[in-house]
Amino acid sequence: MQEIELEVNGVRRRLSVEPRRLLADVLRQEFGLSGVHIGCAQGACGCCTVHIEGVPRLSCLTFAVQCDGASIRTVESIGGVRAEHLLQEAFRSEHGLQCGYCTPGYIMTLVPFVSRMVEEARMPEDEEIREAMSGNICRCTGYHGIVAAVRKAIGDQMAASGGANHAG
Amino acid sequence: MRPTPFEYHRAESLDHALALLAEFGEEGRPLGGGQSLVPMMNLRLARPAHLVDINGLPLDFIEVEGDVLRVGALVRHERYLKEKVIGERFAAFHDAVQWIGHPTIRSRGTIGGSIAHADPSAELPAVAMLYGATIIARSANGERRIAADDFFLGAYMTALEAGEMVVAVEFPLPPAHSAGAFMEISERRSDFATVSVGAQITFSGGSITGARIVATGVELQPIRAIPAEEALSGKPLSACEARAAGRAFAEGIDPISDNVASSEYRRSLAAELTSRAVEKACQRALEAGQE
Amino acid sequence: MQADRPRHVGARVQRVEDTRLLSGTARYIDDIRLPNMLHLSFVRAQYAHAKILEIDTDGLADLAYPTIVFTGKDTAGIAVTAHQDFPEMQFSEQPVLAEDKVRFVGEPVAAVLADDPYDAEDAAELVFIDYDPLTVVGTMAQARDPEMPAIFDNWKGNIFIERQMKGGDLDAAKAEAAHVIRRTFYNQRQTGVPMECRGVVAEYDQASRVLTVWTSTQIPHLVRTYICEELGLPESRVRVVAPDVGGGFGVKGQVFVEEVLVPWLAMKTGRPVKWIEDRREHMMASIHARDHEHTLEAYVSAEGRLLGLKADISVDVGAYSTYPFTAAGDPGMAAKVMPGPYDFQAYEATFRALATNKCPLGTYRGVARPSAVFSLERLMDEIAAELGMDPFEIRLKNVIRDFPYKNVLGFTYDPGSYAESLEKARDLLAADIAEAARSKASSDTRIGVGCALFIEQGAHGTPDFTRRRVPIETGYIAARVEMEPDGEVIVDVGLQNHGQGHETVMAQVAADVLGVDPSNVYVRQGDTLTTPYSVGTWGSRGGPLGGGAVHEASKILAEKLRAIAGHLLQTDKEKIVLYGGKAQVDGAEDRFIEIRKLCRIALRNVDQLPEGMIPGLEAAYSLDGSADGTYANALHAAVVEIDIKTGKMKLRRFLAVEDCGTILNPLIVDGQVRGGIVQGIGSAMLEHFIYDEECQPLSTSFADYLMPLATEIPNIEVHHIETPTPRTPLGAKGLGEGGAIGPAAAIANAVADALGISVLKTPLNGNEIWRLATAIREGE
Ligand SMILES: Cc1cc2nc3c(=O)[nH]c(=O)nc-3n(C[C@H](O)[C@H](O)[C@H](O)COP(=O)(O)OP(=O)(O)OC[C@H]3O[C@@H](n4cnc5c(N)ncnc54)[C@H](O)[C@@H]3O)c2cc1C
Repeated sequence: MQEIELEVNGVRRRLSVEPRRLLADVLRQEFGLSGVHIGCAQGACGCCTVHIEGVPRLSCLTFAVQCDGASIRTVESIGGVRAEHLLQEAFRSEHGLQCGYCTPGYIMTLVPFVSRMVEEARMPEDEEIREAMSGNICRCTGYHGIVAAVRKAIGDQMAASGGANHAG
Repeated sequence: MRPTPFEYHRAESLDHALALLAEFGEEGRPLGGGQSLVPMMNLRLARPAHLVDINGLPLDFIEVEGDVLRVGALVRHERYLKEKVIGERFAAFHDAVQWIGHPTIRSRGTIGGSIAHADPSAELPAVAMLYGATIIARSANGERRIAADDFFLGAYMTALEAGEMVVAVEFPLPPAHSAGAFMEISERRSDFATVSVGAQITFSGGSITGARIVATGVELQPIRAIPAEEALSGKPLSACEARAAGRAFAEGIDPISDNVASSEYRRSLAAELTSRAVEKACQRALEAGQE
Repeated sequence: MQADRPRHVGARVQRVEDTRLLSGTARYIDDIRLPNMLHLSFVRAQYAHAKILEIDTDGLADLAYPTIVFTGKDTAGIAVTAHQDFPEMQFSEQPVLAEDKVRFVGEPVAAVLADDPYDAEDAAELVFIDYDPLTVVGTMAQARDPEMPAIFDNWKGNIFIERQMKGGDLDAAKAEAAHVIRRTFYNQRQTGVPMECRGVVAEYDQASRVLTVWTSTQIPHLVRTYICEELGLPESRVRVVAPDVGGGFGVKGQVFVEEVLVPWLAMKTGRPVKWIEDRREHMMASIHARDHEHTLEAYVSAEGRLLGLKADISVDVGAYSTYPFTAAGDPGMAAKVMPGPYDFQAYEATFRALATNKCPLGTYRGVARPSAVFSLERLMDEIAAELGMDPFEIRLKNVIRDFPYKNVLGFTYDPGSYAESLEKARDLLAADIAEAARSKASSDTRIGVGCALFIEQGAHGTPDFTRRRVPIETGYIAARVEMEPDGEVIVDVGLQNHGQGHETVMAQVAADVLGVDPSNVYVRQGDTLTTPYSVGTWGSRGGPLGGGAVHEASKILAEKLRAIAGHLLQTDKEKIVLYGGKAQVDGAEDRFIEIRKLCRIALRNVDQLPEGMIPGLEAAYSLDGSADGTYANALHAAVVEIDIKTGKMKLRRFLAVEDCGTILNPLIVDGQVRGGIVQGIGSAMLEHFIYDEECQPLSTSFADYLMPLATEIPNIEVHHIETPTPRTPLGAKGLGEGGAIGPAAAIANAVADALGISVLKTPLNGNEIWRLATAIREGE
């Protein structure tokens, strides 16, 4: 067992874990974060994506002990229980989800992508959006609604942050 | 699909890491990005008793020293796409990185891990061979410099010894009159390559003076396409007979066969991608000449 | 009467279930945690066919933590059986833990329980099993070889069942034919791969004798019935709950051995037991799909009229018959649906289910139709090529235009838009067709256009299942609608939502009938405690039958509301309209009473009810499908671009012209169609579950079993034609599976067009396309 300290969704906590425990399991078991899902446990589906120090990372390929002192965010912190982040709103309006199992992973992968596009004030081509989500598998939607949601979220966020001009 | 128990050690310095690795021998493994090791541990195909986490070490440098580009073992794949020197001097390298996995993998996986893991279809081992890179390995006993050509011994097999770790990879800067390209065919964009080919040519006065060509997906480690390299020597950039070079390479190989691709398919891809990589390299050479 | 007012049915209503799914607060099976719970890890067979000589569990005694282990000796006699009631059927019994023999790699052999899942997995590695390997039956040819040993002791050969279906005079058709065209087609083995694996949690309360089982299933009531029958428990005291389910696609539409075993373990140990399947287990030991070989022989007139069709259908169904659709499910369905959308009256099919040492075959989106459509639609293009006709022309010549149409097997099709969809697609594709023709001059890049026309029987009624004589037995869906004193509505429906949006659509349906807003309707499903007995969600029946049942139950309640309102407003109840939360007199907007007030009266101020009226607001309805179900139709078209030198194929365009009758919610219809299509694209190009000669599974991870990723898929165009069916209350036909049915055929036809050759099998991956392009490549 190893003592570690994690800051999860803004709350710091010390805990003692076996080194082999995957971050995904620790977030689920110790922190009760049911939004972290495990789809393949080998980095191929993206369901378990969380942010470690702001960067999307696969929590099924990360040991909790590696994160001692780190700040971690999960989908629970993105838009609250009402899922009010603009990207979540766009997933709703564009039908970017069906069974929902892969959805938190998409949100965690794509929130930084959307922010980056807004910062760069550009609307990416579909191809770039699809590349950005190529580490996530959705078996329900056929991806169409997710691509549409990303476009909408970028557009909405640009409009909200002062209507930076963007193409298409 | 959860790992077997192990002890975790966070390396505080390179010497600390090397001391730990020396202590544990075959039982210990460096933990880099974890993007290959942890899947294998989850599947219980790898069962290290000790993991030495090297992520805190100052090995994430990319620096040019004289005519060598030194890439620290902890440089993450995505970084090459932003590094000016890679874009300008190592076009084939730049091409290749875009084929590695998906964005989340690219932001975490390291060159040290990729080189040490030596997946038969991985891009970075091929890139290292393409540029004639040197793998810098360190152990408690000191440093070894291993030419990439001698480093990859088979699927997941390298010249590294227990207790040894990759600390950097040194790429000689390609000379001014050179150009390269990297081509890949994979089932899906982010899959490991079915076959990939990198080509790097040097030229003078509109003709090819030397070529280095490396392919994956033919054998269980990247191989040099020597017959193609030889076929190109002296050919004009504008009519380099890339197709013949590809054929020359393909004729001499006996590719592996598996559920992804038959031997015949791999042979055909090796010829075609060699031809395309060479053509692209020549085209880049010609474009550079016009500037 | 209410036609001119805006309705919720048909509107693009956003889904109510999305918020919990987006916020991470949904509860999937792995989120169920109970005090004192044991975690189960399986020891699974490493051989495809072997005798179990000895199971050694001694190693567990040395562990520092307590474990409990069970083997087939402990569970002897507990099994999943699924029998098709025909004398030809050979019987299989899948023990919950293998007893004397294992029959496929991945079959559970021992169950190891520990307090922690990591520890349970460690402990399971310490169970040693001594096997005596037996000859493996690994291919369809081997299964048909009488010399091969039988997988089951009392069997003759390895054929579960072989039967025939026929109609009309095939000899006459053959005699009349100017062309006889015969081809053999093959679709590879696949698996459905929901993103969430399976899982079961069970808890038994000794005092009340109540067993609660949470399982990631599409069919909670059927799981309950099976558990009760197998373990001898009263259905009244067994509750099966499907929590949020992370995808099913038919995979979770069977009763699995684990669903019987885990409750048994909970009863045996007296502690809650949890099993969460991992991805490897899921790939090798849930259920597989497809693996069809069809030989078709078409009898065609000189003008290109299809006169008759002969089919020989073999399916590799693996080691056991699955419940409730049995080993005969896929081959029988292929034989039944093969005639498709074309007008001909002579047909004969021989179909067989072959047993091999592989993971059992079960239902997966489309169930046999993707393969049947692949074969028939490829055959149509082969006929067109042979007769020098255009693919659209041959189809337009043979397509059914007059409805209702009684097909060669006696099934009567409700009205559809087969010819219209063909014509529409031909217009939409005109530029691509021209470009494809021009590309034929190139030996570098070829473009091809392919289409697939198909119908999908859905919302089947009980007679359809009776005919099949399978344990499913019936197909009705029940709904119960209840209003509360504050006017809120509860809909309990016997469906199980795993992405289809039932919680939204059922609310839309009830809201329209009851005159309230969908936000006032709370839909509950997936729990046998709250919902009326039903068969669950599968077979494209949620909308037409589930929606229909909610509609009919709501109508009963609406009738009562109108009666109360009529009484209070002193008018004829027929004049009362329920709309916008009010019961008003039609044409007199100011004469109304609020619906929630009616509810209060019906449930609390009952003294104000009309004389003799019974208090309460609750209604139930069970809706069975019509005997032959409904027939949705669709036209799928693919435009592909092929790099001749490398075999790399790019899907440039994919479009669907679909007709599912009345559209209940266009957002959801488009989502179902697109999602299904992308699974179909996976079938066409990528997904292949491979076994080696010893039947060792080679595709047990996402690195080996390749599903479409976003980068492989174009935006999918969906066009609609709406031909409401008279066979369901809302005019809706089945929809959920259709998307997955057409792509393999459309893409294969596009490849055949691009390369000018026959395409006889899938998957059309890089290697296969490269092989098919050999002649063009070498002809340069
Ligand atoms: C879904 C998926 C797709 C992928 N696709 C591709 C792809 O297309 N192309 C590709 O090239 N890769 C691909 N990868 C692998 C990825 O690039 C890995 O990051 C890389 O191969 C290993 O790097 P790592 O830092 O993650 O190594 P780790 O996983 O940490 O380690 C891998 C091995 O190397 C050892 N090791 C690590 N660092 C060192 C060191 N400095 N010195 C000595 N030994 C060391 C470890 O002990 C271990 O044995 C994919 C991975 C996944 C999960």
